[in-house]
Amino acid sequence: MKKFLVGILFFLILPLTSFSQSFYDFTLPDLEGNDVSLSKLLEKGPVMISFWATWCSPCKEEMKKLQPIYEKYKDQGFTYLAVNQDNQKSISKVKSFINANGYTFPVVLDPDKQIFEAYSGIGMPYSLIVSQNKNIFAKHLGYVTGDENKIEEEIKEVLKTSESKDDSKVK
Amino acid sequence: MKKFLLVFFTIFCSSFSHAQLNLKVDAAVSNLLRYGSGYEYTGNIKSPKEYFENLTDARLNVNGVIFGLRYEISDPIEYGLNFKGIRKRYIEYNHKSGISLRAGDFWEIISRGLSLNVFEDRPLGYDTGIDGVRVTYNRTFGKKNPFKLKAQLMGGDIKYSDYLTPERIENYKLRSAFAEVSPLKSLTFGLNYVHSIGELPEENVSTNVKTDLPEVNLNFNLSDFQLYAAYSHKTSLITPNEIFPEPVTAKGDGFYSSLSYSFDKFGLTLDYKNYRYDVTLPDNRSNTRPTRMLPYQNPPTAQKEHTSTLITRNPHVIDFNDEVGGQVDVVYSPNDKMSFNFNGSVASRHYQYQDIDSTSVISYKRVERDDSYIPSLDDPFSPFWEIYLEGEYYASDKVYTRLAFARQNSTQFNQIFPENSEKIFTTTIPVEVKYSFSKAYTITFIGEQQWVHNSFRASRESDQNFTNQFLSFTLSRSPDLNLTANFESTNDDEEPTGKKFWWLGEVSYKINQSNTVTVSYGSERGGLRCANGICRFVKPFEGFRVTVASQY
Repeated sequence: MKKFLVGILFFLILPLTSFSQSFYDFTLPDLEGNDVSLSKLLEKGPVMISFWATWCSPCKEEMKKLQPIYEKYKDQGFTYLAVNQDNQKSISKVKSFINANGYTFPVVLDPDKQIFEAYSGIGMPYSLIVSQNKNIFAKHLGYVTGDENKIEEEIKEVLKTSESKDDSKVK
Repeated sequence: MKKFLLVFFTIFCSSFSHAQLNLKVDAAVSNLLRYGSGYEYTGNIKSPKEYFENLTDARLNVNGVIFGLRYEISDPIEYGLNFKGIRKRYIEYNHKSGISLRAGDFWEIISRGLSLNVFEDRPLGYDTGIDGVRVTYNRTFGKKNPFKLKAQLMGGDIKYSDYLTPERIENYKLRSAFAEVSPLKSLTFGLNYVHSIGELPEENVSTNVKTDLPEVNLNFNLSDFQLYAAYSHKTSLITPNEIFPEPVTAKGDGFYSSLSYSFDKFGLTLDYKNYRYDVTLPDNRSNTRPTRMLPYQNPPTAQKEHTSTLITRNPHVIDFNDEVGGQVDVVYSPNDKMSFNFNGSVASRHYQYQDIDSTSVISYKRVERDDSYIPSLDDPFSPFWEIYLEGEYYASDKVYTRLAFARQNSTQFNQIFPENSEKIFTTTIPVEVKYSFSKAYTITFIGEQQWVHNSFRASRESDQNFTNQFLSFTLSRSPDLNLTANFESTNDDEEPTGKKFWWLGEVSYKINQSNTVTVSYGSERGGLRCANGICRFVKPFEGFRVTVASQY
């Protein structure tokens, strides 16, 4: 019971914490074998990095909802970057899944989860919105239907503020 | 360890004065707190169960030098042995020339894992991580016609223990050399060589095994077409001891291939596996055989990983030492509102065996066959097959529906008494309906019905046919709240706990963008759970659990 109480104390302290996630640049291969660099994408505008896998149902729902949002804002420089986490058992299905669903956003492969680890990933779906100034503007762990509305608001906001000096929002 | 901590501490302290030293410091921290209290079932025996685990993963990047550690308090741990202290630690440096160095703990997968795939799966209490050194060189030459090269050298130790016998630890000293070249954008060749020396305890005797494991792989990737193939060959040499008076040399191999093709709204994937790392007589099979596939290997399973609660209750346990089979997976999305998935998989052992001794002594002989590279559906081959169909339909922006059908047939052949072979046939129909009644609020209903036929019953009075039901209701408020109620029932006469009904309530709340807390209370049925072909039996549980996940 003592341990549980320690745990509860920890839980009560958590909302008071406000560390900020750091930007970490990476280059990963896409489904055609081309290298995709995060910093290159950021030259155009903000990027939403989304960690997903073919066996993760909420990830697939998030992608379905984010595809039209990506189409809506890509001309303003926004990129939705899907970072695949499938391992050896399902990675062969990734390309056919993306093509069959007609997704147009870039998809890169991170099978040894190095980038997921660098961004403190502990579950999926996990997404981060990175502003053009390389600040982590927003984070989402998990996905529930309706989250796409909040994400779209955040994208609008980051597009507006990406030129400003201080656009870090994560609390 | 002390030296490592000293270096870490020095660098950490120096970060406080980074303004003066012009250091660029990035940090990432995640924390997972798990607590559970209640009762656990072993058969129908109920015993108190409590666990408390807290894992903190920290990563500090100082001018490109990365320091990482995991501090763990697991007392009492849910599965395995209690632990308090630094479980993992590493230093990594990535130079712009393409050279990367890592010392300490790491996980690694080479290609698809036929010769090397070490990973951690915390829910299964599984960890084959390496403690050692890894040097990687990754470079692309030329821009117009790029030539890619990746080379890697690794050395280190693995301590492996099974969750059922955590005190029995197998020690491996491992060396690996890997090279991968892409002379063309669409073509990649890879070569890997693993050498290990293993010490496997058996009561008071330790068996030493030297293993050599070369692998070759090829990846061909055109715009709509992708072909992958890998082959690895294992040679194990056992040094004589009390258990093995003579030196033993054992050979085995594994082949995996996948072909995927996609065009306008249609995707097809074919997987083929032929794993023969330790094909042996039925009475020799064991999870601790020194000549078996080694814990640091983990090739693709080539079967579907399900998310349905009832379908995952009866997983096919892959025998990487002796299994041949494959799967076909088709995805078809005629429009953005509808998509279909078909998956069919089949697997079996390579050979059947005969008892050639007419006396009471059992002496097996393998029945050779020329077509052992294809699976057989005959009972003596312990076959498994599965068909899965799924349709998803977004009726509107507010309504989502999913309907699936799964049929699984598996046979565990009893060599001595074939009439006692365990045959399990299941048919499962999962349904999901989701309705969003505002921008924030959504209700989700999941219903699953399963019909089971199990030929092997402990009692003659028990019915071989029974059904399972699963119902789940979720109310979610985007982006922070989930309320779930799950109900499960069965009329199985031989349910190990004797229970017929389970219920569970769960609340998940996102405190802010970094912290999520989940609390559940009720009863969980337990059963066999698998990930990446690694399976373990999870005991039924009754009580409450708390999880707090944090990312900074």
